[in-house]
Amino acid sequence: MEGQKLLNGYQTGQQTRRQGAVMFGPGRKIINSLLHLLKMAVLLLASLVTAFPFVWMIISALKTKAEIMDVSAFLPETAQWQNFSEVLFESPMVRYIGNSLFVSVCTVAIQVVTGAMIAYAIVFMRFRGRKMLFAVIMATYMLPTAATYVPSYIILSNWNLLNTYTGLIISNAVSIFGIFLLRQAFMQVPAGLVEAAKIDGANAWKILWKIVTPMTKSSFITFGLMSFISSYNNYMWPSLITDSPEMSLVSQGLRRYFIEGGAYGTEWPKVMAGSTIIVVPLLILFMFTQKWFINGIGGDTGMKG
Amino acid sequence: MPCIMRFGKEKVMNRKSIMQRLKQMGGVWLFVIPALIPLIVFWIYPIFRSLFISFTDWDYMSPTYNFVFFDNFKSLFTDERFYEALGNTILFSVGTIIPTIVGGLLLALLLQKNFRGSGIYKFILFSPWVTPTVAVSIVWTWIFEPQVGMANTVLKFFHLPGLQWIQSSDTAMLSVILVTVWKSLGYAMIFYLSALEKVPKDLYEACGLDGAKKWQRFRDITIPCISPTTFFLMIITMVNSLQAYDQIQILTQGGPSGSTRTLLYMYYQLGFEEFNMGEATAVAIVIILITVLLSCVQFTASKKWVHY
Repeated sequence: MEGQKLLNGYQTGQQTRRQGAVMFGPGRKIINSLLHLLKMAVLLLASLVTAFPFVWMIISALKTKAEIMDVSAFLPETAQWQNFSEVLFESPMVRYIGNSLFVSVCTVAIQVVTGAMIAYAIVFMRFRGRKMLFAVIMATYMLPTAATYVPSYIILSNWNLLNTYTGLIISNAVSIFGIFLLRQAFMQVPAGLVEAAKIDGANAWKILWKIVTPMTKSSFITFGLMSFISSYNNYMWPSLITDSPEMSLVSQGLRRYFIEGGAYGTEWPKVMAGSTIIVVPLLILFMFTQKWFINGIGGDTGMKG
Repeated sequence: MPCIMRFGKEKVMNRKSIMQRLKQMGGVWLFVIPALIPLIVFWIYPIFRSLFISFTDWDYMSPTYNFVFFDNFKSLFTDERFYEALGNTILFSVGTIIPTIVGGLLLALLLQKNFRGSGIYKFILFSPWVTPTVAVSIVWTWIFEPQVGMANTVLKFFHLPGLQWIQSSDTAMLSVILVTVWKSLGYAMIFYLSALEKVPKDLYEACGLDGAKKWQRFRDITIPCISPTTFFLMIITMVNSLQAYDQIQILTQGGPSGSTRTLLYMYYQLGFEEFNMGEATAVAIVIILITVLLSCVQFTASKKWVHY
């Protein structure tokens, strides 16, 4: 409707405009190629600015303490690779990475199961309060989660789950974004297929994992990756509930290293090496999984449009 | 149509259908509960619990507390720090939402048509989003270093005076905003890219191949067609700005002299540094109310400018 109105407006506007002078020929060509050049320049500049912190992080990690304080030395004279080995072998960074991997993998596994089940119920099951349930979930999506941290902290403390990964994992057992993503994907599955499976006597559990999941695999991958990244990078909540150093996740551990390692002064190369060790694997992971992020985020936002 | 058939059969069939329905309800619950319980325990219940705590003077350590009703809110609303934090929150939110949305749309428009290397641009522009805020904020801390940091070196190169960045209360907020926009720009771009792809092609074709009217075409067709995405991004960026913590904690810890203390950071300091749970949850309630209020305003306004 709206589109049609626009379209009509367009056609009438177009007719009147046609009568006016329209540039053709070489002039137009020059303008076009200039525009193209401008476009490329903007993109190049934006990409350079975006990538710069990563490049600078790696270059800084390879410098000596003296070089890093010298504005005129852009590149290190000789790359100080031992900065990396020192961080890897003499700091608990590897342990932090292991902690984060463990917590993230558990969190992702649980979020995928809980998310797929509730999304299945919302899409394929008929029950009273179905719409209400979805509305509540949608409202929760807009809630600033951090505002709930005091009571959540108290709940975990009452259950003696402070400073445990169990506490961390169960408090992140649901991903609202994931429920959206899967609901959106499940809605594309032909309802007849599910009905037919039901008539054949398959139960919901089987239908979900044997029929619906294989058909919506790409959304599951997107969900898994997004959930992994956010759980791996998470900082505020884990830092509130785990305070013993050996339990730290990467972000918290890196921050401790940043502060203890004489951040405000001397140890910048090592701090940058630590950051590189944490950031670069994620960039590599992203390089190989890029399409799942880009298609997934853009394609299935749970919003029309 | 099994349900229509059921009506015609005798009582035996009816009983069976009740059993079936019970079984079906059981099945529904089984599928809903694993997500619903954590959702209630860690999202919904805490909101009401926060409201309750905000009426008390609880200090977390002691087992007892007194009801002080609106005292926490009263002391909050007479506290200069609160208004400063509120102002900072507004500044930070507006300062991140506008560049993120405008910049994201601009980049998406530039990358809309695939060309050689467009994939690499997309990769680079989106990459900050996948990296931990803490790690990249540490890198930015180094870039913002006033004496030898890269930010001032670049400024000096263009013969501009260097800034104190995160060390001065005049520029600290700007620095935090820069980092936040840097991190979220690619995210907005991705959303816009797919929204632009979904604009019906015949709408464009209808207005002919006349290239001179690109701006008009953009204003009258593209903008209305992608308005749902703009709306969605506004809500998401707003919620994210309201709960920004990681970058503030690393870059400035709310300083210098409170210039980057947002409401959420104030909530963190009151709750987890001062253990003043009453006032902390009062701030949380204010944050939630702001979110609800702004969402309502945006939803109402969206009826005017969002075209589904």
